[in-house]
Amino acid sequence: MDDYVITVLSNIGMISFVALSAYLLLLTGVISFGQQAYFGLGAYAAGAATAMLLLPIWAGILIGACVAGLMAALVGALTLRLRGLYFSISTLAFAEMVRLVLLIVEVQVEVDGELVGPAGAEGFHDIRWMFERDISLGEFMLLIYALLALVLVALLLIERSRLGSIFRMLGSDDLLADMQGLNVVGYRVLAAGLAGVLAGIGGALYAHFTTYVEPQFFNVMLGVHALAYGLIGGLGTAFGPLIGVAIDVGFLEAVRFIQGYRMIVFGGLVALLLIFMPRGLLDEERVHRLKARFRRRGDAHAAGS
Amino acid sequence: MIDFVQNTVDGIMFGSSYALLAIGFTIVFGVLRRINLAFGASIMLGAYAGTWLHVHYQVNVLVVALTTLVCTVLAGIYVERLCFRAIRRDAALASMVSSFVIWMQLEEAAVHLLPERTYAFPSFFVAGSFELGPFLFRGEQTTMLVLAALMVGALHLLLRHTRFGLALRAVSESPRAAAYMGIDTAWVMLCAFALVSLVGGVAGFAILATDEQITPFFGLWATFKGLIAMMLGGMGSLPGAVLGGLLLGVIEAHAQWYLGNEYKDLSAYLLLFAMLVLRPGGILGQRIHGREALAFRRV
Repeated sequence: MDDYVITVLSNIGMISFVALSAYLLLLTGVISFGQQAYFGLGAYAAGAATAMLLLPIWAGILIGACVAGLMAALVGALTLRLRGLYFSISTLAFAEMVRLVLLIVEVQVEVDGELVGPAGAEGFHDIRWMFERDISLGEFMLLIYALLALVLVALLLIERSRLGSIFRMLGSDDLLADMQGLNVVGYRVLAAGLAGVLAGIGGALYAHFTTYVEPQFFNVMLGVHALAYGLIGGLGTAFGPLIGVAIDVGFLEAVRFIQGYRMIVFGGLVALLLIFMPRGLLDEERVHRLKARFRRRGDAHAAGS
Repeated sequence: MIDFVQNTVDGIMFGSSYALLAIGFTIVFGVLRRINLAFGASIMLGAYAGTWLHVHYQVNVLVVALTTLVCTVLAGIYVERLCFRAIRRDAALASMVSSFVIWMQLEEAAVHLLPERTYAFPSFFVAGSFELGPFLFRGEQTTMLVLAALMVGALHLLLRHTRFGLALRAVSESPRAAAYMGIDTAWVMLCAFALVSLVGGVAGFAILATDEQITPFFGLWATFKGLIAMMLGGMGSLPGAVLGGLLLGVIEAHAQWYLGNEYKDLSAYLLLFAMLVLRPGGILGQRIHGREALAFRRV
């Protein structure tokens, strides 16, 4: 594979983390326009850990995920009362605040005679963990997909578990969940924190893949795209957002001949799709039917043998 | 002190354009209970169409204004048909995402029309700049304030004193009840979209004529300012939208003066976030929010 293909595939992988993050919140019935903030916080925190404190990368990713997760949980606790559009706009406001603060913050330390660290609008340069260890783009891509697979398995397990049912219950009716004796507040904060962790991991990887992050990348377009991916791919399963990312980013690269008209074609297609499938390609109903079909086939096999 | 008052005056002047944008969001939200993210982009497409005529045929500023209005309304109707009318009533989220992708679509169409980064937009003055005591009133901003005041007054008359206004308010109260009363709700919704597009077109034209230039960032800018101003004032409330717009303008003017340019947007978002956390209903929307919360508790 040449570097170009690797970069595209890696981008798909890294954006998938944000898409999954937005998807997890969609499950609990809230729409966040602001998951890019945690992607950005994760990127800056992880970059600071490896480039400024010279920690190993696993520590960087861990710190990125924790910083993003804690921040997300805090914001989740603050915005607990909000629903619907109020919640969406509050996440948007927070994300823009993070981006604008990162445009101002300048914290640089000297490492090997060079100044390293966030430099306001200039961004955060020289996160050279990959270069210093001679790690190729391809190897880093494997790391991205290994982590993505891990996260995906974890999400699929959560969906099958009690926690997954609780999240979906919160999504359909808060009051009902409350009546069941569930700690609604706690689970909402937990969902927000987990979503932050997901986005933070993506950001940590992104910072090390590009060696350079700037606040402009974490603008609202990233957040709204992340949200749209879940809705295009479908809200029935964690594979939905991944399909959404693959369709968008893959489409962008594959259909070169409509370059420049990409959004006109893609926008129109998605708008039409949403008319016929308002909850995406793999919505709950379709996922349920697919599962049932697989199960029946499995039973037939068992009976046959 | 003089600075403070001058900033406040400037803020109110500029805030009047935010108020018009916020009205666009608030009326659509009131009638459909949905958010139209493509609002800024439809204004942008309209303004680009006007600018296109201006760039290629050097038409008169009034023709530019008319083209902007007509094309904004057409774009608004397109958005209504594709993202709102066609999508099921219970799928508000799909509507929002759909209007988002159409935002991207309209923006790209506009950029194809005029591919460069900035274009001159014809300026449009009615009043000249004048001084009142130590304070300066810039002509184009005064024009904008007057224009906004006229628009708000006209909208108030339309909503409160005509049959169409009554129908619109009925649909916003309860679409089903309105339908039982023989109101053609689909038609009212389409008209609401055309109406807000018209208001948005006027706001867009006034803002661009003040800036005397247009860039591809206009759609994003208009959408955000309108949304923030609406949330500050309280969703679905017309006086709230006006108040929110003016407040946003004043805050931005002061933040820019006292803290610097990079704090202008930051202060606006900080205010919005604090408002949502502490008083989610906005300044004037508290009643609506409170009523919903009460209904929720009663269930």
